[in-house]
Amino acid sequence: MYDIGIIGGGPAGYVAAERAGQQGLTVALFELKAVGGVCLNEGCIPTKTLLFSAKILDYTHHAEKYGIKATDAVADFPAMMSRKDKIVRKLVAAVENKMKHNKVEVVKAKVTILDNKKGIVTLEADGKTFECRNILICTGSEAAIPPVKGLTEANYLTSSEILSLNHVPASLAIIGGGVIGLEFANLFNVLGSKVTVIEMMSEILPGMDQDISQLLRKECSKKGIDFHLKARVTEIHHKNIHLEKEGQSIEIKADEILVSTGRKPVVTGFGLENIGVEMLKGGIRIDENCRTNIPNVYAAGDVTGFSMLAHTASREGEVAVNHIAGKPDRMRYKAIPGVVYTNPEVAVVGLTEEEALNKGIGIEVQKLPMTYAGRFVAENEMFQGLCKIIVGKQYHEILGVHMIGNPSSEMIFGAAMAIEAQLTLKELKEIVFPHPTVSEIFKEGAFLF
Amino acid sequence: MATPVIMPKQGQSVESCILTGWNKKKGDPVKKGDILFSYETDKASFDAEAETEGILLETFFSDGDDIPVLTNVAVIGQPGETIEEYRPGQSVVKPAPESKEATDDKEGSSSTLQTSFSEPIQAGESTLQKISPRARMLAEEKGVPIKKIKGSGPGGRIIERDIHQYLLEHPRMTPLAGATGEREGLAASNKGTGLAGAVTAEDLVKATDFDSGGYVDQPLTNIRKIIAKSMHASLQNSAQLTHHMGADVSRLLEARKKVKVLQEKGYLYNITLNDMICLSVIRALQKHPAANAHFLGDSIRYFSPVHLGLAVDTDRGLMVPALRNASELSLTELSQELKKMADQCRNGSINPDLLAPTSASFTVSNLGNYGVEMFTPVINLPQVAILGVNTITYRPRPLKEYTMEFVPYIGLSLTYDHRAIDGGPATKFLAEIRNELETFNEKIE
Repeated sequence: MYDIGIIGGGPAGYVAAERAGQQGLTVALFELKAVGGVCLNEGCIPTKTLLFSAKILDYTHHAEKYGIKATDAVADFPAMMSRKDKIVRKLVAAVENKMKHNKVEVVKAKVTILDNKKGIVTLEADGKTFECRNILICTGSEAAIPPVKGLTEANYLTSSEILSLNHVPASLAIIGGGVIGLEFANLFNVLGSKVTVIEMMSEILPGMDQDISQLLRKECSKKGIDFHLKARVTEIHHKNIHLEKEGQSIEIKADEILVSTGRKPVVTGFGLENIGVEMLKGGIRIDENCRTNIPNVYAAGDVTGFSMLAHTASREGEVAVNHIAGKPDRMRYKAIPGVVYTNPEVAVVGLTEEEALNKGIGIEVQKLPMTYAGRFVAENEMFQGLCKIIVGKQYHEILGVHMIGNPSSEMIFGAAMAIEAQLTLKELKEIVFPHPTVSEIFKEGAFLF
Repeated sequence: MATPVIMPKQGQSVESCILTGWNKKKGDPVKKGDILFSYETDKASFDAEAETEGILLETFFSDGDDIPVLTNVAVIGQPGETIEEYRPGQSVVKPAPESKEATDDKEGSSSTLQTSFSEPIQAGESTLQKISPRARMLAEEKGVPIKKIKGSGPGGRIIERDIHQYLLEHPRMTPLAGATGEREGLAASNKGTGLAGAVTAEDLVKATDFDSGGYVDQPLTNIRKIIAKSMHASLQNSAQLTHHMGADVSRLLEARKKVKVLQEKGYLYNITLNDMICLSVIRALQKHPAANAHFLGDSIRYFSPVHLGLAVDTDRGLMVPALRNASELSLTELSQELKKMADQCRNGSINPDLLAPTSASFTVSNLGNYGVEMFTPVINLPQVAILGVNTITYRPRPLKEYTMEFVPYIGLSLTYDHRAIDGGPATKFLAEIRNELETFNEKIE
């Protein structure tokens, strides 16, 4: 008998397993592939590894602006890829060690939920049955493929397969201008591919702050990435993509096609139907304790169908474990940061101006170039950047921060803390920031209100 | 030219009003129609609007002051204009800082502002908070709402220890929660949903929901005092008891259905069941004048018209306005007048004279909408009876042998004062109401 059976070893599952083990709960973690999930094996970590290599190369392209001659820099793609594999192996091993250290029983087999009777969930894996007082479903998501004529025959790539390419394609067409699409666009653009991004909406990164999205698109265009906005793929014939864009037909030829049109929860193939869990928009519906409609069944991560970020998943896993352990905790979604690891980086957290307008929330906004921070000027020769701070009209509480410019990914947690703790500008102004750092932009912004 | 603003006179019986809050401060620009301040009579609350434009040059009173009607309360004019000529004399009961002095003052003064129904109200005296400077500093630093704290120092003074105790008993508030709570008079609930259980702005609750000891002592509002006093007096000073009876309301339901159908075709009157019941009651009263009366101790006053009182539930509390000469109205007129009266109660614009229990000759209290099946309404003295109207339930009635039909019955609860009416006549009157309801035949067109 286990306190918790965790289905799926990604950022929700392995973090939950680790936290549960730390609290002395008995845990079985079921994962058919390597622990770490999509994030560690074919998502966050491998892409960031490759993007860092690309960033180094990108800097050499403009090194003369910083007084450095680096004319001969070229990418060694196989070396980049093998370094990526090494890093992934290293981190997977680290997770496996954590599981051992916290006495988590990792079952590397396909698992099926058999039933849930008298408060005991029975699972079957590897020919054995496992009885659990609670289960946590963290089966994650998979690429959602749009129904486009000829797409299946076109031998398209998703974010998984593209990480196993053995060469840099001469041209790459990316269907879907979201976070994943933009990061791969950046990577292969730097490596020398002719990259075209096709997006159905009127701007890339739908849902993000429009000023930031627009600025990123302009930066990417400067580097040679082509964008087709408001464009719908009508048909694919071999590697020829037919688009319809504002009434016009356009044809794009590409050596490879990446489909990055979003992801969908994995809710089949593990016996979910045997216990009658309530669904919501294709995902598993959970409450603020990450519990489903069934009292001893919890879910965390992409399988819930919203947020779909590794850090959301980990936090949800923690909340579920705490609730099982009887510790007060709850999930809050107001301060979940989002990062796009392009060069320049984009990092956002909280309310956007557009959301505030739609919800009728009274706000005040300050936009300031990142060059207000001296350190940013020292490190960025051609780019102004943008930091947008959104506060409540009446009490000046921090509601949202949206940034473009390096290293915003490393700074955004500060804004997330402010939002989570409901700090107002008054408190923010009293906090001491290290000088000179780009993070001082928050303080500069606070004094502009 | 500077113009004084007076405390309005709301009805003949009102001699003074309590200023409950300023909407404008001294020095604020004022436009015609701006709400200057709010005030209460002993029965209802009102807003006073500016009748001229200019700058609010001076205010002579503050929150909680009991001010005789027609007294100058403030002056509106242009900067530099003199206001001294408008300053009222000192014949006003100011809330005293110490309750002992206030009592002395009250006893020593013959010019108390007693209305027929209320004691002069020393509002404000209970809201003055005594706090030590150290406690105040700590409270401000930690965002502790002082108003929620009971002082444990001499004379109820809040001392530092009380703030520490409060901090021990209450979860941490986020800065936003602190700012919001202070401005909007909200307090932390005991359950925080923020970081590590911190109380967020969303967790704030109305301050009255909570207190450091798990309770709150809320001073009675004027209207509450009046209700308390009159209800208690009614039960103490009369010999009241209640009879219950049911009436078949099939005809009323038919009529109501017809109203709804007609409304879809543009019929203007939303005649409700309550309107029809009131009409039936008025007719029954005309046949039984013994119930349409006031018991005056050594005499009984029988009324010729029916002045119908209707209990109205409002945010401020129960109000019972009277519809004078209701017996002269047609069904549609009655419907409109009752609606108008209830709206006036809810928005505070009702003429206070109509709220006096002497204004009505009989009262109806309808709790049918709330699903109440039986209750014992309390008579509004000096009236001699009150009818409680209950919800409609379906009761079986034999149709023929072994066959029952279900009939919609409305419960009627008649409380009467046995000093004025005996059980026999009361029952006959109640039966008459039933008869009126069951034979309801008013044309709706």
